[in-house]
Amino acid sequence: MSAAVETNGRSDRELTREEREIAKAYLGRVPWEMVAWGIGNFLVWLSLWPLVFLGILPLWVGFLIALVNCSLAYLPSHEAQHSIIGAEGTKLRWLNDVVGHVSTIPLVFPYRVGWITHRRHHAYANDPERDPDISSRGETWWKGAYNSLRERQPGSEGGYARAMRETDDPGRDRALVEAAILRTTHFAVLAVLAWSGFAIEACLLWWLPRHLGFIYLVTFLSWAPHHPMVERGRYRDTRFWKSPVGRVGSLWMEFHIIHHLYPKIPLLDTPKAWQALEPLLIERGIRDDRVNASVSDH
Amino acid sequence: MKWMEVLRSLNDWGAVLFGVGFLAPLIAQTMEATGVPAPFGWPPIAVGLMVGVAGGLVAKARRSWV
Repeated sequence: MSAAVETNGRSDRELTREEREIAKAYLGRVPWEMVAWGIGNFLVWLSLWPLVFLGILPLWVGFLIALVNCSLAYLPSHEAQHSIIGAEGTKLRWLNDVVGHVSTIPLVFPYRVGWITHRRHHAYANDPERDPDISSRGETWWKGAYNSLRERQPGSEGGYARAMRETDDPGRDRALVEAAILRTTHFAVLAVLAWSGFAIEACLLWWLPRHLGFIYLVTFLSWAPHHPMVERGRYRDTRFWKSPVGRVGSLWMEFHIIHHLYPKIPLLDTPKAWQALEPLLIERGIRDDRVNASVSDH
Repeated sequence: MKWMEVLRSLNDWGAVLFGVGFLAPLIAQTMEATGVPAPFGWPPIAVGLMVGVAGGLVAKARRSWV
């Protein structure tokens, strides 16, 4: 970065130092709430199967709960993808990997593929050639969701396939094997259940909630915080925005800019970090897309 | 790895396998649950298989279900 850029009398380097000093306060905590969220959410989803099959829970209630489970399934794994729960070489590394793998089972989203592709997303956010998440670009959220749905089709050669083909990550082969096992198992479970007379249960507890969950996740985790996915650069490739469904309804993604600037800040600490960093980031020229909201709203 | 090759080959037919393995019984059981009769006195699974296989082949050719 150039030290020649002056903002309010401070150089770019001084601003960066100040920014990092503030952000440091939010780094290093083990987000136990995300461990509980990831494992708990998976266990709730798993418990739906016996509860529905034994007739204890009506199928339509099971479907609604499964829909919530699938919508909540990604973020704990995302924390693990950034090694926030346990860094390499630490005693909690195993837990980091357990949460990473287990939490996304309802979504059938392989952890190590997520690890590789998400790192690439951070490195090349909004780059039409290299950002795997560029498939969720669209003028409207539903166009973004549709584009992303096309990315998940059988013969897709979209961003994720390209990222896995081009990566030089040493974990690539292992990631592909794990992905193949996960997807084959998913299909085998659906097929066995379906041909055993439980196709509607399989559809409403796994297949449909998974697809609807992806639409929700793509909309709030990718489309909304990066929209319109044109600008690039540390302070411009994502934005601060006001969600029509609030902070929790959008899974804290109003603060996604904090995540891109400091990926190791735990998700639930991003609002606090935003509050502390906001004046500095405004000064930096971030994309602030609030509508009729004051600076102190958050 | 040989089994990865096998999986890759199966994956090429993934849409058709999905049509037969999941879509066909889903259609049949949905027809039974909603009381929709199959045409020509066919069993519902015959309708499910026809739609599942045809849909799978189209999806395979188009490389997409949507």
